[in-house]
Amino acid sequence: MKIEVLSSGHVSASGFAASATLNDAVCQRVGCKTSHPVALLDSMAPELRRWSQVPRLRRASAISYFMLEAAHQALEAAPEIDRSRVGVVASFFLGCIVYTVRFYKQITEDGRRYASPILFPETVFNTPVSHLVSTLGLGGPVYSQVGDKSCWATALRTAECWLRLGSADHVLVLGAEEFDPQVLEALRSTGLHTRGMVLGEGAGALLLTSQSNGKRVQLTGVADGYGFANKAQAMDASRNSLAEFPRELPILSTATGWTQSIEASVAKGRLLKRDERCFSEAFTARAAWDTIHGIELLKKNHLEDLVIPYWGLTQQFACARFTNPSA
Amino acid sequence: MTLPSSRRVTITGYGCLTALGVGSVSTWQSLILGQSARVPITAIPVHGCRVTKGAQATLPNLPHLSAKQVERMSRASRLIHPAAREALSMADLLSGDGSCRLPRLETSISTTAGGMEKGEQFLQKVWKGQRGNRATLIAQYQAQQQIADLQRDFNFRGPATIISNACAGGANAIGHAADLIRSGMADIVLAGGFDALCELVYCGFDSLLTLAPEACRPFDRGRNGLMLGEGAALMVLESEEHAFKRGATIHGIVAGYGHATDTFHLTQPHQEGVILEQAMRQALDQAGLSASEVGYINAHGTGTPINDISEAKAFRRLFPVSTRLSSTKAAIGHTLGAAGAIEAVLSLLALKTGLLPPQLNLQDPEPDVMEMLVQQGEQLTMRSVMSVNLGFGGSNAALILTHS
Repeated sequence: MKIEVLSSGHVSASGFAASATLNDAVCQRVGCKTSHPVALLDSMAPELRRWSQVPRLRRASAISYFMLEAAHQALEAAPEIDRSRVGVVASFFLGCIVYTVRFYKQITEDGRRYASPILFPETVFNTPVSHLVSTLGLGGPVYSQVGDKSCWATALRTAECWLRLGSADHVLVLGAEEFDPQVLEALRSTGLHTRGMVLGEGAGALLLTSQSNGKRVQLTGVADGYGFANKAQAMDASRNSLAEFPRELPILSTATGWTQSIEASVAKGRLLKRDERCFSEAFTARAAWDTIHGIELLKKNHLEDLVIPYWGLTQQFACARFTNPSA
Repeated sequence: MTLPSSRRVTITGYGCLTALGVGSVSTWQSLILGQSARVPITAIPVHGCRVTKGAQATLPNLPHLSAKQVERMSRASRLIHPAAREALSMADLLSGDGSCRLPRLETSISTTAGGMEKGEQFLQKVWKGQRGNRATLIAQYQAQQQIADLQRDFNFRGPATIISNACAGGANAIGHAADLIRSGMADIVLAGGFDALCELVYCGFDSLLTLAPEACRPFDRGRNGLMLGEGAALMVLESEEHAFKRGATIHGIVAGYGHATDTFHLTQPHQEGVILEQAMRQALDQAGLSASEVGYINAHGTGTPINDISEAKAFRRLFPVSTRLSSTKAAIGHTLGAAGAIEAVLSLLALKTGLLPPQLNLQDPEPDVMEMLVQQGEQLTMRSVMSVNLGFGGSNAALILTHS
């Protein structure tokens, strides 16, 4: 079975569409003693505000709006599909972190008896996806999946599984994250936040279909499950993951932070540079943006194949192969 | 859904840890005797909450690990570890040194909170301006760390799908593992779920006024809430061909899986249970069974007024009154991301032993299911059982297990 990329959606501080139209993100600075640049979305942007006016979404977290907008873009570009046959797999590293931190702070400061019953449901990983399928009227299977950035690749694999089994005709694969200052604090504590890393927020969506026309870019393989617990294992994991695909294929440069040196080592001579303007580090959202960007490069440069790596920062490496039959 | 059933999905190992006991045998024995694990909660701070009791597990000793390793682990990791050992051992996948015989073993596991108490401790440190140990707390907080702990302790690697479909996630994780095998994308998968009690989630349910101040009474007209619990359960699922090839003992079959999303309300199911019915029908279709061929249903049955009536209406429409029904949450509590996995293991044990877990704390049964509820001492007379779960966000999942 061929699995093709039907359309995509992109929501980041750089813009609200395909990366060809994106701008440099305007960075704000966050932090107390030392400030750090972060690329945040403008919550007053009409593309986000329209979702906050949907009655069910009045109290939803920002991540729900990001996901909805990205999914909406992807679905709008494929108006002919039957939405009752669209499945959704969302991948998260942190999920609804803003409301989670706010809810816990409220318990800590005001007392457990005063915890907000309005906030709590919005802290649940599954909530943004629930808002999404309800608002956009999607009727296929729905999963929220969690992990480091590489869980985007696991989500691609889930989509492949559903399409193979016929559980859905199309699957929206989403990566979405929202920013909270505690995330910066956490990454600095663990040494994962390195010099030059710009944290961000947003979402990306890829609409995959099993209804092939033979001309669209195809998802032709996912290699995941290469875990690591230290840097030496990480090097092996990345090598083994990339080795699932032929050695001559180009690899999109997607590494951030501490994984950049590993990428430079294991993908030497095969790296295709990305557009540096467009991307901040927003974990699963970043994995989605990298994928969308890679697919555009595949088409623009008339490449036959491209391997897109997902350098999970904490647990595993994964990568996916995309093939352009029109090249 | 049209699902090819060319690859039968077998269960070759299972294990669990609940507030009723460490291991499937002790849990099952206590359950059949009609015991409930409700105790005052001491593992997490609950002072000030409206309800302060729940199904708290006794943390097991982990003699195969060093004291330092155990100390660093999240509560969730400590719960899932014995369940994994039991399941892998039963499936004959553990070698003499305690390592998994397969260097690559895919996992499909559910959780709602991961190592949340470590995240809570991290935030407390940040807010109090304390340094030190923050990196460990953050590492242990993430849901993928509990899977990484399993991979390290049992020495295997492999794709790890972590499903967080709220309280239906455990059933989804097992169903997804079965899908991976049916689609030919995997031959063998370690599947299940886990969740540990934590302050944030406990206070969340307390704030929603969904915790039962007295005993949890699923499907009783006087029910007034759920009992939060904790635990873990895992199953080794493999294709029949793979199981035969390595001579594994088959304990049951995952014959059907259905899942559907209820968009009626974020935290409440459709009042008539129509989406649950849809998920159950999918599972029946995949299993090639009629509703009358299912002998026992392990219901989600949280004990909240809205959940149980919705479920009861769906069961009443789809199944004959002769079908036996109970919710084991009155005994082991609502274990969130683990619930679907634990309840699948309990359903399998009903199949294997022919005994049925009674519906505890029943005084005035919900009329729609009055005749279906299991009494103490009842036995299973059929070869198929179903386990259903519902979750926040509208996740509904149904699993059908049959004799091998």
